[in-house]
Amino acid sequence: MMSSAWLIPLLPLAAFLLLVAFGRQLKESSAYIGILATLAAFVLALGTFLERFAAGAENYYFAFQWLTFGNKVIDMGFEVNQLNAMMLVIVTFVSLLVHIYSKGYMHGDERFPVFYSYLALFTFSMLGLVISPNLLQVYIFWELVGVCSFLLVGFYFYKPEARAAAKKAFIVTRIGDVGLFIGISLLFWYVGSFNFSDIFTALQNGAMESWQITLVGILIFIGAVGKSGQFPLHTWLPDAMEGPTPVSALIHAATMVAAGVYLVAVMFPLYQASVDASLVVAYIGGFTAIFAASIGLTQRDIKRVLAYSTVSQLGYMMLALGMASVAGYVAGTFHLMTHAFFKALLFLAAGSVIHAVHTQDIFEMGGLFKKMRVTGTVFLIGCLSIAGIFPFAGYWSKEEILGAVYNKGHLGLFAVGVIAAFFTAFYMFRLFFATFTGEAADDTKKVHESPLVMTVPMILLAILAVVAGFINTPGNPVLGHWLTETMAGAEEAHHAPFWISVVATLVSLLGIFLAWLMYGKKSVSRGAIAEPFPWLYQLSYRKYYIDELYNNVIVRPLRVFGEFLTMVDVYIIDGLVKLVAGFTKELGHAGARVQNGQIQTYGLIAFLGIVLLVIGLTFGRGYLG
Amino acid sequence: MDSILLTLLTFSPLLGLILLIFIPRTQTGALKLIGVLSSVLPLILAFVVYGAFDLKQAGLQFVEKLEWFSIPAEQVQFPINYELGVDGLSMPLVVLTAIIGFFAAIAGTIFVDKRWKEFYILFTIMLTGMLGVFTSQNLFLFFIFFEMTLIPMFFVMGIWGFKDREKAAMKFLLYNGLGSAIMLIVFVAIFMSVWTLNFTEIKTAFTDPGSPFNTQGSPVFIGEGLRYGLFIALLVAFAIKMPIAPLHTWMIKAYTESPTPAVLISSGVLIKIGAYGLLRFNVGFFPEVAHQLAGLLAVLGVINIIYGCLLALVQNRLKLVLAYSSISHMGIILLGVAAMNEVGFQGAVFQMVSHGLIAALMFFIVSVIFERTSTDRLDDLGGIAKSMPFVSGIFLTAAMASAGLPGMSGFISEFTAFLGLFKEMPIIAAIGTLGIILTAVYLLRAVLNTTFGPTSDRWTVLADAQPLEVLPMVLVLGFIVLIGVYPSVLSEPLQATLQNIVPRIGG
Repeated sequence: MMSSAWLIPLLPLAAFLLLVAFGRQLKESSAYIGILATLAAFVLALGTFLERFAAGAENYYFAFQWLTFGNKVIDMGFEVNQLNAMMLVIVTFVSLLVHIYSKGYMHGDERFPVFYSYLALFTFSMLGLVISPNLLQVYIFWELVGVCSFLLVGFYFYKPEARAAAKKAFIVTRIGDVGLFIGISLLFWYVGSFNFSDIFTALQNGAMESWQITLVGILIFIGAVGKSGQFPLHTWLPDAMEGPTPVSALIHAATMVAAGVYLVAVMFPLYQASVDASLVVAYIGGFTAIFAASIGLTQRDIKRVLAYSTVSQLGYMMLALGMASVAGYVAGTFHLMTHAFFKALLFLAAGSVIHAVHTQDIFEMGGLFKKMRVTGTVFLIGCLSIAGIFPFAGYWSKEEILGAVYNKGHLGLFAVGVIAAFFTAFYMFRLFFATFTGEAADDTKKVHESPLVMTVPMILLAILAVVAGFINTPGNPVLGHWLTETMAGAEEAHHAPFWISVVATLVSLLGIFLAWLMYGKKSVSRGAIAEPFPWLYQLSYRKYYIDELYNNVIVRPLRVFGEFLTMVDVYIIDGLVKLVAGFTKELGHAGARVQNGQIQTYGLIAFLGIVLLVIGLTFGRGYLG
Repeated sequence: MDSILLTLLTFSPLLGLILLIFIPRTQTGALKLIGVLSSVLPLILAFVVYGAFDLKQAGLQFVEKLEWFSIPAEQVQFPINYELGVDGLSMPLVVLTAIIGFFAAIAGTIFVDKRWKEFYILFTIMLTGMLGVFTSQNLFLFFIFFEMTLIPMFFVMGIWGFKDREKAAMKFLLYNGLGSAIMLIVFVAIFMSVWTLNFTEIKTAFTDPGSPFNTQGSPVFIGEGLRYGLFIALLVAFAIKMPIAPLHTWMIKAYTESPTPAVLISSGVLIKIGAYGLLRFNVGFFPEVAHQLAGLLAVLGVINIIYGCLLALVQNRLKLVLAYSSISHMGIILLGVAAMNEVGFQGAVFQMVSHGLIAALMFFIVSVIFERTSTDRLDDLGGIAKSMPFVSGIFLTAAMASAGLPGMSGFISEFTAFLGLFKEMPIIAAIGTLGIILTAVYLLRAVLNTTFGPTSDRWTVLADAQPLEVLPMVLVLGFIVLIGVYPSVLSEPLQATLQNIVPRIGG
């Protein structure tokens, strides 16, 4: 199975090509092509995973020569290792469910086949990224992932908001991409190769100076910051909500944003080798976790709250990876997995809600649980999981993160993680209570449960959001052991004190309780906390004015500067030229004759030039000879 | 040695010219057909040559040499030879020229609306000129072919262009005439110091102490000052052609006022001649000077990139956006050249070919849109993806290629050029990468404002692309994707030659 892992990305690519060619004819049966291809990819991925998971299995590597730079050979190929075997399963699984779900959600859309072709391309790109054995190939698929998410965010191209959001997603992530671009380029010259194995060997041999490791580490992380929506490049992710909701599930769970975390995990040895670079990862991650959570507290749009929760959870993953310890590595990648399940679940459930009530404002909903029992139940499971309540999947991975941070002695970051967990529990249950309990804001609407094609994927994800955590419990860390079996220092991983678990659970319960008081039981008014601190509320609600800041400090000055340069170009540069060539005008009169087609005259001019050359040659010879 | 393949290739368009002369003006269908066919023959021959090209060989291939005429100079008759040949540097550009020639010929049938006979006659001359520029192996031939591209272009712009065509044509002629005058002076000066016109012989004379052209046993004695002078003069000549800011203003006018086929040729091939000259002459003949001034080239490159981007960012017409975009992309070629290493040169040549294809495709698409809407103003357009989904899709794809999306030629070109420079001047290269961000910004602005957004009533009934338009667009896009997915098609012929061009400093 491992040796045919290259087929996994190619199946969705084939689906993409088929859909581009025949989508118009296939109409809504396009969905079957997409579903079949991802199903096949999922089965293959599962087989690959199981083969790698078996005791004694080795990594698999295959590459062919793609390009040469002088004596340097650039390879393309694929690799199967623990981390990407796991990723392959996550990506194909979530993608498969999104493909199935979309059949119901996108039903009736006139660009249905186009949507499926984008989904397939998106899946291909992410899978290609995951099996890449070198950084250049990662970069190639990294960019393709970015373009696909641009296409899907801008799927409703006629909406100005979608256009703006798609553009923003592409440009903001591209800022990060340039960091990665520079990092890869420098690394190539430091190491002489793009291959991961060569890079890690060079790190072991001390072929790189420590400042070089730090520099490259930070540059590569900048790429991850863009892709994974970390501060300060997080602004595109919440706006990316303009895309169809199944796309959000895919972007937030398995593809786009996962790529950044995955990259940092892949380059983990690099961060282990540089304390400074890993601290940058940890602090940016920790800050993003609490920063985004504090914005999530006040948003009214159901998808926007989920978007900020994604940003915040990705911050947790970065925080864990930034510990540069084996425990941190396991915690970060483990959380990437559990998050994929519960976040995909939450988005699909949110999509189901939006599909039913046609609004995204949580205060225009209410009382939906009675009418949408399946959606309501799975949404609750998702909320419990993300809030980190025992024994849901999110509980196990969040514990691991907090434990890894604590064990490294970063008490400040540990506190940040705990407070962010409180925020998370609060805003998630604020969302749940406002949407599903109480009275309906508008009773006239006929609301009913989504069709099976949409609820079945949600149920499958809900099951995983409950049980996925058991693959890596403190008592029996199967996943962790397997992921790190080839890693140096794996045996040092020891588990955090039990009280962390107690504190984190209590904090989360407190958040849920507060949310219940305010939005469930409504015994505390919604404004009780916001009113005494209106500026604080505004700061959070307006997302700390970051968008406005960027607009006024970067976008506008750039435009003004461009306008200024246009003036310079038209009046000064071109003006000077005109001045110098004052005879332009005179010649212009002659030019009028062009119209009459006096070809001879101009042939003569050309001929004169040649004659001049001949004379020059002759003259030269005579003069110097 | 006996091969006449290159002569056939170079002059094959003229077969069409002869036929065209005998076809009456009124037979427009026949004129168009012959016009297109006269670009098909070189296209086929170019691929024949490419197929027969020996990838391992560093030197010239398909060499042809004939004594042509001679100039009396004191006691000796100095021979002027007819010398053709291709190496790894010119081979990709010959293929590019043939592709763009075909593209432009088809564009002529769609976008030229009068006097097809004269148009295609001038076109075939231009095509021969362009092919000749890349196949000629001595300064004299190079100059003649160079002029053969210049003069017909002047007429095409002046006769078939848009409203302000005459001014644009004059400006084009003035600038480029000045450029070729400077080039001519340099050529004469080179000849006067080495007494040969042949590229290889000049290069040997200038760089190899053991060369038979040297009686003193050291490279031909031209003083440091003169070398610098000639280098700078050539740089100016090619800077006009490429163009390099601030010598670019002729191009802005030329791109907005020229008829579509002329813009395709200009943006696709003509401006690449500047870059080709830079590598062939500046770097080839004066490697030490080039190495000394690499920093200058890099700075010019970064200025071009950023300047082009910033202006493209605020233009309100698609054609202007593309014009400034061209300037910006030429900067990437400069960066690759400035790297003075194999990777950088490879990137520079990649970028020449890649930009040639992408720019021509973009201009073609804009013309297709213009043909239907009579406008290229961003504030007039919007939402045309509804009525023209195919054209809009291709437009977005081409823009992505231009912005350096992997899987298409723009990425590997840009990446390779930058990679080369990162080895030598990481700081300047890092500043240059700002262009990567800005390129995405201005291209998305232009394309999304055209195709995305609400569709105004004026644009709800536009016709999507016709078969004759689809064919060349898909073909060119195919080449763009081919290079992007499998860049070795381009790099293999290059490798051996580039090793020869890279300056051996200190040796």
